[in-house]
Amino acid sequence: MIRLVAGREVRERIRSKAFRISTGVTLLFILAVAILPGVLSDDGPTKYDVGVFGDRADRLAERLPEVALVGDDVEVRVRRLADAGEGERLVRSGKLDAALGDGRVVVKEELGNRLGFVVDEANRQVAAAAVLAGAGVGGEAAARILAPQPLEVRALDPKSDEEVARQGLVFIGTILLYGQLLGFGYWVASGVVEEKVSRVVEILLAKAPPAQLLAGKVIGIGAVGLIQLLVFLVIGLATAAAFGTVDLPADSLPIAAQVVGWFVLGFAFYSCLFAVGGALASRVEELQSTTTPLTFLAMGSLFAAINSGTDPSGPIARVATFIPFSAPMVLPIRVAAGEVGLVTVVVSVAIVVVSIVAVMALAARVYATGALHLRGQLKLRSALRQEAAGVTVP
Amino acid sequence: MLELIALSKRYGDVVALDGLSMVVGAGRIHGFVGRNGAGKTTTMRIVLGLARADAGSVRWRGRPVTAEDRRGFGYMPEERGLYPKMTALAQIVYFARLSGMPAAAASAAAASILDSIGIGERSGEPVEQLSLGNQQRCQLAAALVTSPELLVLDEPFSGLDPVGVDALAAVLQTQVASGTAVVFSSHQLELVERLSDEVTIIDQGRVVASGAVSAVRGSRGADRLRVAVEGAENGWAEGLAGVRVVGRDGDEVELALEAGADDQAVLDAARRAGRVRSFRREAPSLTELFREVVSS
Repeated sequence: MIRLVAGREVRERIRSKAFRISTGVTLLFILAVAILPGVLSDDGPTKYDVGVFGDRADRLAERLPEVALVGDDVEVRVRRLADAGEGERLVRSGKLDAALGDGRVVVKEELGNRLGFVVDEANRQVAAAAVLAGAGVGGEAAARILAPQPLEVRALDPKSDEEVARQGLVFIGTILLYGQLLGFGYWVASGVVEEKVSRVVEILLAKAPPAQLLAGKVIGIGAVGLIQLLVFLVIGLATAAAFGTVDLPADSLPIAAQVVGWFVLGFAFYSCLFAVGGALASRVEELQSTTTPLTFLAMGSLFAAINSGTDPSGPIARVATFIPFSAPMVLPIRVAAGEVGLVTVVVSVAIVVVSIVAVMALAARVYATGALHLRGQLKLRSALRQEAAGVTVP
Repeated sequence: MLELIALSKRYGDVVALDGLSMVVGAGRIHGFVGRNGAGKTTTMRIVLGLARADAGSVRWRGRPVTAEDRRGFGYMPEERGLYPKMTALAQIVYFARLSGMPAAAASAAAASILDSIGIGERSGEPVEQLSLGNQQRCQLAAALVTSPELLVLDEPFSGLDPVGVDALAAVLQTQVASGTAVVFSSHQLELVERLSDEVTIIDQGRVVASGAVSAVRGSRGADRLRVAVEGAENGWAEGLAGVRVVGRDGDEVELALEAGADDQAVLDAARRAGRVRSFRREAPSLTELFREVVSS
């Protein structure tokens, strides 16, 4: 019976326009993420054209390219100017990014951070050299003062390229997971309410117990969501590997498997709650209000997951690991960051599994009452009270 | 044979059924009549297991009905119910399989029932693209596809044109001829009278009359006397003992006879009033009976 119901869901959902469109759009997004970084790849340092004028133009022209070398991937091309007027004209026409001289810098709109650092530093060095020369300091001593040996950086816990790649992959996986949980969860809710609106539910309930109908629906829609997620992951990873545009970590497949595993658990949890939302509504329009709390909890969980990405050992990450709403999205990120051990994962999975059992029981009770409640929105409390009083499908 | 024994059901403070009992025999068409809210749909839902009776029992073939029995019953709910985007064929197959038929048998039965009710050619179209009449036929196919031994139809004739009514009536008669028990509710009492072997009238969750249509008509309510008198004054029948004028059409008056009233005395009075062209005594129609028992 459950297989029959699930089979119908799989066939009808895959045939539906909504499924085809959502698959297509998401695939485009994934292909864009996998291919575009290669196409838009680094084309060398950012180049700035800077004009110099005034008394210290020569020395500025000498320092600017030197200072730029220290900066963050910046190259400065210097041009001599007759005077400030020419500088203003060329900046205005866009031929120069900045004109520097006589203690001021002319720019069109604003002096950005990167160019700002270069012109400031060059100006400071030229001014300092002048003071030093006045005090009789010159030659090598002046050069050491003006451009000391750069600091050597020693990172205690350096982030390898591998780790960065892993975090990138798990982040995209989490976004996909969130989309699948919410999208297919909502399908469960709308599937329940559509059967109420079309009154098919009355024929179905004469043939099968409500718990089996609900189980079939959840399993069927979940299977479609799972297949779609697998397609996304396989195509995404294969494309990235084929084009070589994205650095894939060596453990890409285990990470993808983790996302899939959390989809199964997360969907079992979320879909039961979405089914409750569907059973409480009697029209598609009412789904808005009956599923809003759930949507907010899912969004909050995504924010917790994003926060865990930047701070995998922070308080939000640690708490969210043990909340069934957020665990599916937070755990893969923390595991990829190497922040949690096996015990934490086992405890978190156990909490989610126990929660699934609880929401399944809740969903079965509310569905049995709500399925034949065909007019007006039902309140959760009233549904449970009626269920206790026997106003329900036996 | 379906037996309902002393069914009671309350929804909060509202009494839906109050000790309702009735019997539907194999190979019989049973009309189920009552005002809106009298408890017809609740009764049918209890038979199908969609609602639980607070008290009383449903028996099928002499023993308590089981979930397995119910899967085999054919049911057409009042508000209908089909998947709008599924094809007619796919959903009839689906309902057949939910009833426990194996895949191959379900496909064959669905194709054959859709053919026999005249929408075989359109069975590949999504239901939402069918006309309302064809959707209704598809709904009927959903109830008939398992060749059920019990058919429960809630207002099956509502919304049908006269041709559709005749077609559905013919389908029901074919089913009954093969031994199916049919119970259907309707507000079209002439139709119930014409089609049914038995009828049950309920009011406020209680049976007020039940049995063979002719027996019910004869047992309850006042007999009708239709007398046409040429040249009589209008008021000739007023004031006769045990007689009430309930209708008038030209020369003909329709009189309700209380129990024990003397129809021969009426005939004498008619002859005194003028030339009697016709004089006919008959049991009340179901419509008349229904008005009488339900309004009293």
